[in-house]
Parts: sequence; C-alpha cells; structure tokens
Amino acid sequence: MPILSALRRGIDRLVINDPEYRFLFRRQETDEAISLDCETTGFDPWVDDIISISAIPIKGKRILTSEAFNVVVRPDAALRAESVKIHQLRLKDLEHGRHMSDVLPELLHFIGARPIVGYWIDFDIQMLNKYMLKILNIRLPNPLEDVCDLFYDRKFANAPPGTQLDLRYATIMKDLGLPDLAAHDAFNDALGAAEMYVILKDMKERGYRIPRAKDDASPFVGVG
Amino acid sequence: MTQAFDTQNPPFDRLNQEEASELRAAVDIGYYAPSTTVIASGSSSEHLHVIIKGRIEERDGESVEAVLGPRDSFDARAVVHGAAGSTFVATEETLCYLVPKPLILDLIRRNVGFGAFFYQEVSRKLADFARRQETEGVEQVLRARVREARLHPPTWIDGDATIKDAAVVMMQANNNALFVRDGARVGVITGMNLAKAILLSGQSHDTLVRDVCHFDVISVDAEDFVFEALIKMTRHRKRRLAVRSEGEFVGMLEDIDILGLVAGNSQLIPGRIDRAHSVEDLIEPARDIQEQVDRLERQGVKVEVIAEITSDLNRGLFSKLYELIAPTSIKEAGCLIVMGSEGRGEQTVRTDQDNGLLLAAPVPEADLARFRSDFSGALSQFGFPPCPGNVMVTNPQWSQPIDDFVRQIRSWIMTPDEMSAMNLGIFFDAVCVAGRPDLLTRAKTEITSFMRGETGNLARFAKAIDQFEDASAGMFTSIMASVGVASNAIHIKKSGTFPIVHGIRVIAIEKGLSETSTADRITALVNGGTLSGELGNDLKGALSYFMEVRLRSQLNAMKTGRHEEEAIVRLGELSSRDRDLLREALKVVKRFREVVRSRYHLGLF
Repeated sequence: MPILSALRRGIDRLVINDPEYRFLFRRQETDEAISLDCETTGFDPWVDDIISISAIPIKGKRILTSEAFNVVVRPDAALRAESVKIHQLRLKDLEHGRHMSDVLPELLHFIGARPIVGYWIDFDIQMLNKYMLKILNIRLPNPLEDVCDLFYDRKFANAPPGTQLDLRYATIMKDLGLPDLAAHDAFNDALGAAEMYVILKDMKERGYRIPRAKDDASPFVGVG
Repeated sequence: MTQAFDTQNPPFDRLNQEEASELRAAVDIGYYAPSTTVIASGSSSEHLHVIIKGRIEERDGESVEAVLGPRDSFDARAVVHGAAGSTFVATEETLCYLVPKPLILDLIRRNVGFGAFFYQEVSRKLADFARRQETEGVEQVLRARVREARLHPPTWIDGDATIKDAAVVMMQANNNALFVRDGARVGVITGMNLAKAILLSGQSHDTLVRDVCHFDVISVDAEDFVFEALIKMTRHRKRRLAVRSEGEFVGMLEDIDILGLVAGNSQLIPGRIDRAHSVEDLIEPARDIQEQVDRLERQGVKVEVIAEITSDLNRGLFSKLYELIAPTSIKEAGCLIVMGSEGRGEQTVRTDQDNGLLLAAPVPEADLARFRSDFSGALSQFGFPPCPGNVMVTNPQWSQPIDDFVRQIRSWIMTPDEMSAMNLGIFFDAVCVAGRPDLLTRAKTEITSFMRGETGNLARFAKAIDQFEDASAGMFTSIMASVGVASNAIHIKKSGTFPIVHGIRVIAIEKGLSETSTADRITALVNGGTLSGELGNDLKGALSYFMEVRLRSQLNAMKTGRHEEEAIVRLGELSSRDRDLLREALKVVKRFREVVRSRYHLGLF
C-alpha cells in the first residue's frame, strides 16, 4: 500500500515532535542499508517488549560487522518463559540493559535515512514503532527491504500456481548455501538477513533465478 | 561481536581470548558474485579472506591450482608480502570474512605462533610453486569434473520387480548397479545386494527389489570436482555414487572410474576391447588409446611406460580386430605381425601402421583380398595413418606365404640398397600379435643365420647408421655453438633415435637376440658382455630422453596441426636444462656410432 504509507510518512513528517529527527525523512540514492533484528519477549507487538537489537550496516557488497550496533534492552513487560528458551536470555542478563527511551535516539542516529533490511522486517518495525510513537509521535519512515520478498522474487515469482511456497528463514539459508549460525540472537539473525540481502540483490542484478529443483517435490534426500 | 567467526579454525586457534575478540570485533564480510576476481595475481590485498560460504579457485593463468571452500583463508602472500602469487576467483556466490591487513600484521608481530603459521604458509607456497610442475598430474585429475569421468549410464528398474529380474537387467545392460524407481523414492540395487540376499540371507529369487535395495543414495553433481566425489565415497564408505545433473540422475560413478581418470583409462580399455562384437565397437577404445597418451604425459608418467602401455593396448586391439574379421582360412594359417617402432613397443603417438601377415600355406585369393582391405580399412577408421613405406598387409609383399617371404628376406639381404636395409630392420623388430608365432620365429631365424654367415651382410646392414650422419654432426656442432639461438632446429628421429635403435638392432641380429624392444636388447647385450654397463645406461637414458622430447613435440604438433614438424625440436624453444640434456644425449649417440663403426669396420666401406 504505497499510497497509504506515503500519506502516513507525510503526516509523520508534519507531526514529529522533535525536529532533530527530520534527518530520518531525508531521501537519497545510496548503496547503503541497515540490516536490523530485534529479539523480543514474544510475538505480540502490543504486549511484548524488545530485549535486544542489532543493526549491521551494509555498504555495496560489504557487510560491515565491525561497525555493528548492538544493544541489550531492559524490558518493561515481564519476560516470558518461551522467549527465555528461544534467546537463552534471563532477566538477570537484562539487568545491565538500557531503557528503550535511552536506546532509541542512538539507534535512530545510527540508522539515519538508510533503508532497513530484515527477515520478516514488518514485525521488527512494528515493535520499534511502539516506542517510536511513544517517544517521537511518528513511525519509522525508512524504506524497508524484506529478504522474504527478495527471495520470493528470485524463486517463486514465475512459479506455476499451486507451487508450495516455503519462505522459512532456515529454507532461505539453505537455498543460498549459508551456514546456519548456532545461536539465534539479534546479531546473528541480522547478520543472516544481511548475507541473504547481498546475495539476493546480486542475483537480481544478474537476473539469476534460484532453481526450484524437482527434488523439492521428492522426499528423496540425495546428497550426503 | 561476530560470534560466528570460528576462532578454532587454524591459524586463529593460536590466538588468545583477548586477541580473538579483537579479531572478531574487526572483521567485516565481503560478498563476491560468481566469476569475480577477488585478488589478482601480483596485487596486494587489504584483507585476509576467510571463506564463509562459496568457492574460490586459485588460478595460475588458465590452470586451476587449488579450490578453496568454507574455512579456508587466502591469500597470506598478498597480505604479508604485498603480492599474490596467484589469482583468486569466486566461482560461486561467495561470502568471506575480511580480516584487516593492519590487524593481521599486528597479530603476527605480537603472537609468535600465529606469525609462524603465516610465514610457514608463505614459504610453503613458494616451495610448492617450485614443485608444482612435477606433481601437476594427479592433482589435475582430482580437479577434473565428475562429468569428465567415464560414467555408467543409468539403468532403471521398478521397485516391485523381482531380484531375479534385476539380475537379468544387470547382465543385459552390463551394469552392476541399477537405479530403483519405487513410487516417489529412488534407490540403488547392486550385484552385491543380490548376492547377499540370496547367499547370505537365503531369500528367494522372487524377493522384490524394493526389499533388497537401499534408498540412502549418495549422489554428486556432474559439475562437482572428482576429489569431492572421492571424499564422499570415503566418508560414506561407498564404491559408487549416483551422479546428478540439473536434478536428474545421469549415471553412476564408480571408484574404478576415478582410477581410470588418473591412469588415463588404460586399465579399462582392455575390457572394452574384449567385449567388442564388431569393428564399430572398437572405434571408441581405439580413440581412447590415443587420447590417454596425452593424459599420461601430462600426469608425468615416464615415456617408456607410456609407450609400453600404448603398445600393449594396440596389440590387444589388433588381435581383437583379427579375430573379428579374419576368415577361417587365414585364422588357421596366419600370423599377424606388427613391426618397426610398434614391434619394439616404442611408439606412442601413432605415426604409421607397420603390419604384415605371414601364412603357413597359401589361402584362397578372395579371402586374402578381403582381409587385406578390411584390416587396413578398420585401422584407418581407428586413426592409424597408412604407412608411407607401404609396410602393410595390403601390400602383397607383406602378406604372403612364409616360404615366399623367406625367399624375399634373402633377396633383401643380398641387395645392398637402403630400401632392403629398411625392410630388414623393420621386420627384425616384428612381434606376433595374433595367430601362429612359430612362423615369425622361423622367418627371424632365417635372418640371423643368413646375416651371421657372411660378415659383409651385417656390415652392409650396419652402414645405414651413417645415413643421417652429416646432418647430425652438423647439428651437433651447431648446438654447441648456438645455445640460446632460436633459429636452430634438430631432427630428433634422424639424429637421435634412429642411430641408437639401428645400431642396437645390428648387434642384436649378430647376437641372435629374440628381444624386440631397444631397451631390452641393450640389457641383454650388457648382460652378455657385448656392451659396457656404462654405455648401456647412457644409451637407455639418451633414448628415453629422445622419446620424451619427441612425444612432447608430437603432442604439440597434434594440437597445432603442424604435423610435418612433429620430429623437429627447436633449440630456442627448449629450456636451458633441456638443451643441456639434449647435448649430452647427442654426445652419447656420437660415441655409440663410433662403437658400431669400429665393430663392423665401416671405415672400410
């Protein structure tokens, strides 16, 4: 819904309550992007909280992990048991975390107007927007690039109707031959998305399509 | 923060915790699209690359020196010495950790163990570079693609067929491993599975294939490297791998096929010759015999060995051809012989066909005529050029009853011209490849007894050694004078090979030796005390060197199509090491020529 989001951006630009953050709306041609991932206490943006954020700059074909922005956040909501299991973070670990009101300005300055890349990025943005609206009265205006869409475009865009779609994180990693990173923390997930992004963008430039191998349909597992 | 960077991976395992986290904090990740040059030969690099995913080929010009995969790092020389020794090219979508050069240099300075690895790496590579030429062979094979191996085409059978059916299909298809289609599943059944089912488990012949075959098929892609296939075979303890191309099964790769690639297929050719049912069936193995010569040479196999393998295979080929096309009358009376270099087992690249047929008794003229044309027709189909001297079964002189042939030999001995000497020489090197060897023995005995009866005969025959003497002496002097000058050319066959082969042949006739190869004759003459051990060794060395040079120039001529130059070696194109060797080898020829001259008093002629 580009019209709706353009409208929303226009309104946000007017209603922003801190003019210092106007830079977020500055648009320019760039080969830079930010790969972003948030770990949260759960999957409901209204209830759950962010507990850690990683943002990794991408410049052209380089992933600048050495310049990554990593932060642990002290959540307001109670830490749920499942997310303890997923992230192996305990409340104790978060005691050193900073409050979102402290983290957000730093993060926004770090991201600037650069496009934001991620896997299922809408969710991360929704989470961030919760704090954005509270603190700045606007939503994150940056252009978004979801690696799921890029992957869909490279693999399923010309697929016959009825093709089984599989856009799971692990599937994309496997199809692109990326090594699975053991721990699912914000940094590794942001890194995974960044890796997917540079490869998929290059495949798009070269007009390369990921083969939907016939073996996807066959239960036979060949290569050992 | 890049936790994923594996510091257990050498050389990073030598870093302490603090250094490791410093490294982790400093690395970036670079992406390289397929066919991107990451580091060009001779250029420096601002990063040490550690591959996360993908594949990097290390190339020297056109040839691939190494293939690097995940966890491999490159290029220490480009980082430490500022100049890469090779070119590094991504062949797949590749991601690499980029470790900044200043950090690497700093860590080398601070951490002795880490530093040692890097310097070791650099010096090892330099040493490798010097050694590379010698070891190129086997490595080149491992870096061949699976599709280049001789794959067994896939044969399919249904999962609900019986194992008896499977055995029949295996026999008909001459294939010991079948693909099994069982619904959506694909499996493989092998002869070993059948044997186990019946002999060990006592199952009936009606057991279904799906109950005996296995479905854990291990496969490789046709584009994979052979070494990857080899690794998979080892890892999964399989002797066969299914080969896929674009998702489809295209065949089966057996370990023996890889061996075949290594040894130039030579051990597989005899089986294919044996199984041939028609002249057409022989065309492919005949072509393979020739193709493996080039491969064996590149693998650094010694030229004598190449010649021996090639001769054995060619003889097998002739013998099978004879079996297929000779009419019964000829099979009963005939003795098929190959002569000249083919008989001595010193031919590598096919230069001509020297062959003949001796008959114990006359055979019907129509049978003989048909055999003559069928035989040489087949040979030219196999790629043997016709003999310029017409020493072939098509020539009635070379395919006649033994009594007539013996008269022919006597007349050659009595006629002192070059043609007769050449014919005698070629014939004395003959071996029987099919039919009755006793006919050949009789004809050869005729030569030795007749020649030895009269010293003049032998001397006349020996005189041919001086045939190209002037040319050779001139060349010899010019070599001495012109090291480094490009315009000089030398005829290897006339100046090098021929005088040795012929001189040894004369002495072999004198001594009545039955050996046919020059090296074997030399050994026999040394053992018999006719030649000194030292001269014998020098002659063998020189002959082997001439053969090697000739082979290289023949292979080169095949590639450039300049066949008229196949025996010519241009001094300017030789390395200084080769020029030295050539000079030494020609000195040996000169020394040997003197030995032969004085032995047969050629000075008197």
